[in-house]
Amino acid sequence: MTATESAKPTTAQTNGQTNGQSNGTHQIGRSVTRIDALEKVTGRAQYAADLFLPGMCYGVFKRSPHAHARIVSIDTSEAEKMPGVVAVITAMTLSKDMASVVEEEMHATRKVVSLFPNIGEKVKYEGAKVAAVAAVSREIAFEASERIKVEYEVLPPVTDVREAIKEGASQINEDSQPADALPDGPFAGHPIYNVAGQNHRAEGDVEAGFKAADRIFEDTYVIPRAHQTYIEPQTTVADCAPDGKVNVWTSTQGHFATRSNLANSLRIPASRINVHGMTIGGGFGAKFGGIVDTYCVLLAMKAHRPVKIVYTRAEEFLDARPAPGAVITVKTGVKNDGTIVARQAWALWDTGSGSGGCYATSRVKGVYKIEHFKLDAYDVNTNKPAPGAYRAPGAPQATFAGEAQINRIAHELRIDPVELRLRNMREGEQIAFKETLSAVAERAGWAQRTKGAHEGWGVAVGEWTNGAGPAGALVSVHEDGKARVFYGLMDITGTDTAMAQIAAEVLGIKYEDVTVSRGDTDSAPFGTASGGSVVTFSYGNAVKRAAEDARDRILELAAEHLEASVEDLEVSDGKVTVKGNPEASVTLAQLGQMSLRSRNGPIVGRGSFSSEPSATTIAAQIARVKLDPETGQLRLLGAYGSLDVGKSINPMACEGQMEGGLVQGFSWGMMEQMQWREDGRNWNPGLLDYRVPTSLDFPDLETVMVEQPTKNGPFGVKGIGEPPIAPGIAVISSAIADATGVWINEAPFTPERVLAAIKSKAS
Amino acid sequence: MRTLIELTVNGQPYPIDVEGRTRLLDALREKCFLTGAKEGCSTGDCGACTVLLDGQPVTSCLVLASSAAGKEITTIEGVSAGEVLHPVQQAFMSAGGLQCGICTPGMILTSIALLNENRNPTRDQIRFGLQGNLCRCTGYGKIVDAVEVAAKDMATRENGHHMEVKTEPDTNPAMAGPAQADATGGQAPGEKGR
Repeated sequence: MTATESAKPTTAQTNGQTNGQSNGTHQIGRSVTRIDALEKVTGRAQYAADLFLPGMCYGVFKRSPHAHARIVSIDTSEAEKMPGVVAVITAMTLSKDMASVVEEEMHATRKVVSLFPNIGEKVKYEGAKVAAVAAVSREIAFEASERIKVEYEVLPPVTDVREAIKEGASQINEDSQPADALPDGPFAGHPIYNVAGQNHRAEGDVEAGFKAADRIFEDTYVIPRAHQTYIEPQTTVADCAPDGKVNVWTSTQGHFATRSNLANSLRIPASRINVHGMTIGGGFGAKFGGIVDTYCVLLAMKAHRPVKIVYTRAEEFLDARPAPGAVITVKTGVKNDGTIVARQAWALWDTGSGSGGCYATSRVKGVYKIEHFKLDAYDVNTNKPAPGAYRAPGAPQATFAGEAQINRIAHELRIDPVELRLRNMREGEQIAFKETLSAVAERAGWAQRTKGAHEGWGVAVGEWTNGAGPAGALVSVHEDGKARVFYGLMDITGTDTAMAQIAAEVLGIKYEDVTVSRGDTDSAPFGTASGGSVVTFSYGNAVKRAAEDARDRILELAAEHLEASVEDLEVSDGKVTVKGNPEASVTLAQLGQMSLRSRNGPIVGRGSFSSEPSATTIAAQIARVKLDPETGQLRLLGAYGSLDVGKSINPMACEGQMEGGLVQGFSWGMMEQMQWREDGRNWNPGLLDYRVPTSLDFPDLETVMVEQPTKNGPFGVKGIGEPPIAPGIAVISSAIADATGVWINEAPFTPERVLAAIKSKAS
Repeated sequence: MRTLIELTVNGQPYPIDVEGRTRLLDALREKCFLTGAKEGCSTGDCGACTVLLDGQPVTSCLVLASSAAGKEITTIEGVSAGEVLHPVQQAFMSAGGLQCGICTPGMILTSIALLNENRNPTRDQIRFGLQGNLCRCTGYGKIVDAVEVAAKDMATRENGHHMEVKTEPDTNPAMAGPAQADATGGQAPGEKGR
């Protein structure tokens, strides 16, 4: 591999303690080339779909054409008779034990969900799986799936959460109990039906807060479901050996998470499953297993042959785990000087046939000092697929509601929106709110901003605190003086590269002299999944500890060899030197060779990490838009983002996260929406109609990194993958309001909606 | 009905049997075992399956294999000359023009076709040229940077400052994944030393 320094981005330094020692080789903070770049630019990287096993068959699903229906009968006999068909599975063919899958929902509650509906049970969304077929070719499998006859009793569907909560609406999950009526807010006065989860929180006394306020603002925000739209569809290859060993090669953000899901679903011990995490073609929260892998294993078990399942793009839209939509009402009381005294929110999250969303409503509060805060939020069932995580799950939706209203308040009070935020922000707690917001304002020229006709500026701030999870790592130093990191990390964002940099920094060698190996679940130490922005924080600590362990061994060997005490030695530039005596040194290669004959053997450092609290990361963004008054078309003239990264291990990779996340957030406001017709059918299950940005939709982005280190992160690292998506919808809505004078509260802000806003202002 | 056709991929002949409906993408991936072209949508919208047909980028999911016989097909596997990377490959690496990498083969091939037509494109022209290739990770900025870097590099090389870029062979067995097996029971014709 080769390494290249890119131009160092603008970095705003703030004060703080760092958890790390440098050996003067400066491997941290270098924009080195990704460790996997070579295999990716040459087409050699192996994704799950690139795997072909001897005798491999192809799996295809039989899906419901109805959004809401009861299964009357399923007849698979014609499919089973087809030459080339090797397995057909339905609820009836699975043994009772296997007929349920335990899915890990996004907020860690465990919920039992059937793999397939049985006779008399319901399909709850269009595209729900009813059966699966494996055959020697995809064509035969598809043909066989068409020959499966399913009789349905069609039921009325419900697709809008505001309808679903009403008495008399179709009950989607029959075991759901209505929630008690609320005393206040837009959904007050009647029990709430189709409830799949609840989140209630109260701080202070909002009623008293509103009484003390000079002005009260109340707005309702509507956010559509969005699909993560990873370019690589969900893919799994499975093979079951005669001794019962299950091998799974899959596109996953966490192969240990996948193993755990499979063990729960299939009721077999985890040790009987070996999951090989293949190169992953994007996940953004949607690839933790359960969507295809369980079915793939069941088909392979029945067929006694390897089976591959690759989702089509249409299947992605019909039956994956997109981000939930939401309807959020926010009421805020402020003093005339802009001080926020009270805020209350009511939210309905569109969680389809599942749950997971309402817990994120607390982000409506933002990182502000608000004495009185209250929320009542519900997950509401509709006839749509269950939701999943999408990059900072729930944050873009809740941040839109919270931050768009902050901008409207600023507008009404004639206070600059940046200034209003600075007056109300929380300080301390290792949070760099002011630094991050000021950095982007400065980069965008906010204070000096001007605008032409139909132009507008918008600003918003998002927040996220990375999680942490168990991670183990080994760092070995070989007889050529080079090092290898070994662990069970799935790399999506360039984290293997960061880990190599961390190991190199500790060992006093160059990044180029470190290789990284990912083991399968049989070989690697346990590692948490790549989600929740945990990786650089958690694995970074594990790898740092493992490298420090290896360094201790190096120093011990060197002390013996150089006849010096360990305290008098330093490691840098690939050798150990006695301080103050550069002549007395020994290289890591020599030490690696010596270690083989040493009392304690080869140099293998071990590091483990479980969990420690991190600190909140701030992402602040600004957009400058121009609207076409004839068509309502929105054009971005400028897009600016700042992010508190804690400490940047690889600035180029950090920029990649800032840019990619910003574009996803903005485009949720500009164009992205999954749509369902009234009959519950998905309206836009394809990339032509579900629009994601192309290279033409965005200008060159301008980003600035802030470094306010956190105490527990390796070298001060904060988790940064997710926060840049959070402010986007609010930024765009506020820029449109600045241009038109109209606040559009339903995303995305399509040309139709923008044009209607322009016309309503004109009339 | 199956018929025997010969595809010319990266200068090598591949005699393969296909059905009338076999897509070029499937022929490349499943008959020639060139898996660099990826399937993202099968409707020509994402561009991950882009290959060059007589130098022009096409979405191979929308091309019938039999219609590509007799034409020069270039896939990502044929872009570098042995260990010497194409300047566009080199630039995608150094400029950070990739993250998950699933769009990268198609992006690189489209970029090569773009630069073959216009040696000195503006950033807007690059953005225009890449609009058929979706990337969900990068936000496109660093991909545009990469094409710019490649254009400059190619201009330098054409001015006689030929620069060889040596790369290390893939030395990481854990990352390379399990060995590929031939699903139809033998090495594909024309396939050498994979």
